[in-house]
Amino acid sequence: MSHEIQRVRNIGISAHIDSGKTTLTERILFYAQKIHAIHDVKGKDGVGATMDHMELERERGITITSASTYLEWKDYHLNVIDTPGHVDFTIEVERALRVLDGAILVLCAVAGVQSQSITVDRQMRRYNVPRIAFINKCDRTGANPQRVARALRDKLNHNAVLMQLPIGLEVDHEGVVDLVEMKAIYFRGDNGETIEEGPIPADLQVEAEAARATLIDAASMFSDDLLEAALEETVTPELIREAVRNGVLSLEMTPVFVGSAYKNKGVQPLLDAVNAYLPSPLDPPIEALDLENDNAAVSLESDPSKQTVVYAFKLEDGRYGQLTFVRVYQGTLAKGDTVYRASTGKKIKIGRLVRIHADDMEDIPRAEAGDIVGLFGIDCHSGETFFGDGPRLAMTSMHVPAAVISLSVTPVDSKAQNNMSKALQRFTKEDPTFRVRLDPESGETIVSGMGELHLEIYVERMKREYKAEVETGAPQVAYREAISQRGEFNYVHKKQTGGSGQYAKVVGYLEPIDEAEYEFIDKIKGGNIPTEYIPACDKGFQAAMEKGRMIGFPVVGIRAVLLDGNSHAVDSSDMAFMVAARSAFRQAFTKARPRILEPVMKVEVEGPGEFQGAIYRTLMQRRGNVLGSTEDGGFARVEAEVPLAEMFGYSTDLRSETQGKAEFTMEFAKYAPAPSEVTKELREKYSGQVAEEDEK
Amino acid sequence: MSEVMINLRRSPRKLLERDGHPGPGPGQLALILARAGVGKTAFLVDVGLDALLSGQKVLHVSLDSTVERVRTWYDDILMEMLRSEKKLEHASALELEIEKRRHIHTYVGHSFSTERLRDAIALLRDVMHFEPAVILLDDVNADTLTAEKIESVKAVVEEFGAELWMACQTFREGPQAEAGHLPPPADQFEDQVDLAFQLISQDRKVRLHVLKDGSEMLDEDLHILLDPKTQLVTVGYST
Repeated sequence: MSHEIQRVRNIGISAHIDSGKTTLTERILFYAQKIHAIHDVKGKDGVGATMDHMELERERGITITSASTYLEWKDYHLNVIDTPGHVDFTIEVERALRVLDGAILVLCAVAGVQSQSITVDRQMRRYNVPRIAFINKCDRTGANPQRVARALRDKLNHNAVLMQLPIGLEVDHEGVVDLVEMKAIYFRGDNGETIEEGPIPADLQVEAEAARATLIDAASMFSDDLLEAALEETVTPELIREAVRNGVLSLEMTPVFVGSAYKNKGVQPLLDAVNAYLPSPLDPPIEALDLENDNAAVSLESDPSKQTVVYAFKLEDGRYGQLTFVRVYQGTLAKGDTVYRASTGKKIKIGRLVRIHADDMEDIPRAEAGDIVGLFGIDCHSGETFFGDGPRLAMTSMHVPAAVISLSVTPVDSKAQNNMSKALQRFTKEDPTFRVRLDPESGETIVSGMGELHLEIYVERMKREYKAEVETGAPQVAYREAISQRGEFNYVHKKQTGGSGQYAKVVGYLEPIDEAEYEFIDKIKGGNIPTEYIPACDKGFQAAMEKGRMIGFPVVGIRAVLLDGNSHAVDSSDMAFMVAARSAFRQAFTKARPRILEPVMKVEVEGPGEFQGAIYRTLMQRRGNVLGSTEDGGFARVEAEVPLAEMFGYSTDLRSETQGKAEFTMEFAKYAPAPSEVTKELREKYSGQVAEEDEK
Repeated sequence: MSEVMINLRRSPRKLLERDGHPGPGPGQLALILARAGVGKTAFLVDVGLDALLSGQKVLHVSLDSTVERVRTWYDDILMEMLRSEKKLEHASALELEIEKRRHIHTYVGHSFSTERLRDAIALLRDVMHFEPAVILLDDVNADTLTAEKIESVKAVVEEFGAELWMACQTFREGPQAEAGHLPPPADQFEDQVDLAFQLISQDRKVRLHVLKDGSEMLDEDLHILLDPKTQLVTVGYST
């Protein structure tokens, strides 16, 4: 690889759905001469934008998976990750954010900062991703970039500063004023590829000077040189750029650019801004964990000569087998190298290394620290780290939220059965929030995930990509069972009917814990239970936790403490202790005031102020707990926590109550105890089911 | 009454009550005066928590913050309160209870007006059956306050039978308080203030003074030292 690391930019394009990020990505690829024609999302030519390489995405006009692509812009090397905007796919967004050094936050000049922009922005903040903002769609009726920039400050707490002013808005939008260089930029030619510079239009001169003063004022916070130059009136574009870059890197400033990707306005200056302001892989500090040294943090350096550390953030099924997207954090990865998997320590030989451009790829011999590339012939899960000779290093594990919803999938015939298992195997490897299990009683395959839409998309992908025709059951909420106080057990398991008998006695208690799902403590003294049977007790408790006594859902938050017990020289066995522990668990569980926990979602609804009452009502009807409300000009935003079980069909309800003018987002917030009436209803339903199964 | 009783030994409001300065009462205004950064929001949150934990409903209104940020204030100070009482195990139960009794209402940009506040409270009452006993008004730009504006806000809280606590930033430079008056800019509307406190930063602690109670102007050091971060009474306060 010939490029210098200072000139590498690993960036994401992140935004609310429909704010035009796919179109923007398409234009970026076109201007960097990575593609030769422009297709638009849902375009008339039926081809669809290049980054939306899945058929399904084309049809829906949204991006579901993050495709990575690389390009060169004015001697800089850019890896662009296109991230989805829908919250149901947050794991995709978060994985992408993990490997990014910076991002472009795309906002719509008409709709402004919407609730999903807020979620996406919160995620970026969690991963400390510096960002620049692009206010897109300045050609649309009602475009008001100044209002959007204000909303960035007010709603997202960004120190947002305009770097450009639009020349004309709506149909008259023809270019931008560059406030750093103080010149006008127009985009000519069929596809805006010819840039024409000129003086600032006279009617914008005063406004541009004021905006530049604001910019210098804000930027001088990050550079003493600029501050001094401003006092002496010797400001240069270089000084401004340096100060803005400092502000961006410290995450304390968000420069704002404007334009219209669809009308080919403002994209090239945005790329210049990526080069000028976003970090290179050398800028942010990177840490890995040393697995052999109690997970101690180890600082990594983007140095090609050091130990190789590579992180797999995305898997895709390609024409040539599994394509693994990786970021090289340290060292060099070359064809023929041997590296190790951090999870298993297993050796892996690097076969093919490729650079990826949506559906196209190019073989390369090696990749260096800071780069994002694809690997073929590697079998791994996403989130895996590969390391070269040296300590066993892993990149910090990612935050994977609990699945909150599940449904059964049943293949229609044996061919579908085969295809379905292939598909499920692939999906679970790609997406840690998508889980599959077999219900041992019904024999059904149960998939679970982060929301209705999340599961819907996978069911459709099964049908389309894997030709697996499946029928789905009604979505089920993933309840949990827990205890609320200590419960004791004292249980003897004894069986002596012919042959060798079974004997085991266990004494102890269960108590609730918050910090972990399960903890086992052995306090046996004097060998009342021989050491060799202790693991069997542990296993027995864990087996009992798989299915609670209340409604048959998994039990969480248990500390099982073993105090005493007894064994028999001949009749005791692992099996006997396992059975005893399982029964003892049930005994104690009933005494420990068990309760049902239900997933609760954080819901944010936004709509015109006159519908605030209606929004409150829709949330109240769904056992929602309204946390707060915000008035923003004529708009109202309501934040609430609502049990997931009550959220089915909410979009339809909200639409009809607000004439379709309100929108909402939701994400998992926490598990909370279900109220008594809900508990009662669930228990009645469960005992009905059990009785029905017994009859069968 | 809160299901989980906790002893609020560190609540400044409890100490004020003990010292003969209970809350302002329905339709009345208590004003917290302090320079920038001395901890007005934390003090208001303490007042809110105290009311919530004694079973009252609280509406927290902010003109410059987000719902999320105000919530974090409450969560952080509650944790600190529980930590010093060694009752952290009640945190999640208490948080749940508090959330049911508290509503946070924020304004972005220049959206605030007395009429809008009135509409918002009426909506909460009519749709959500939420009737606050205590209304906290934070992040008000004191420079724009006039006696008329305060009077209209007080009329609103009186209509709903709530008491009002408001924070007001005093000037670090420029005119200081004249004898027998509240420090500027609060002197402009001091007749409307029923109870006034001042937070004074001193040696990394905050001292609490009473400046007005009813119609009486005072300057009484309550000998209460507050933690500058949480505004909770510091353990082992000075006398």
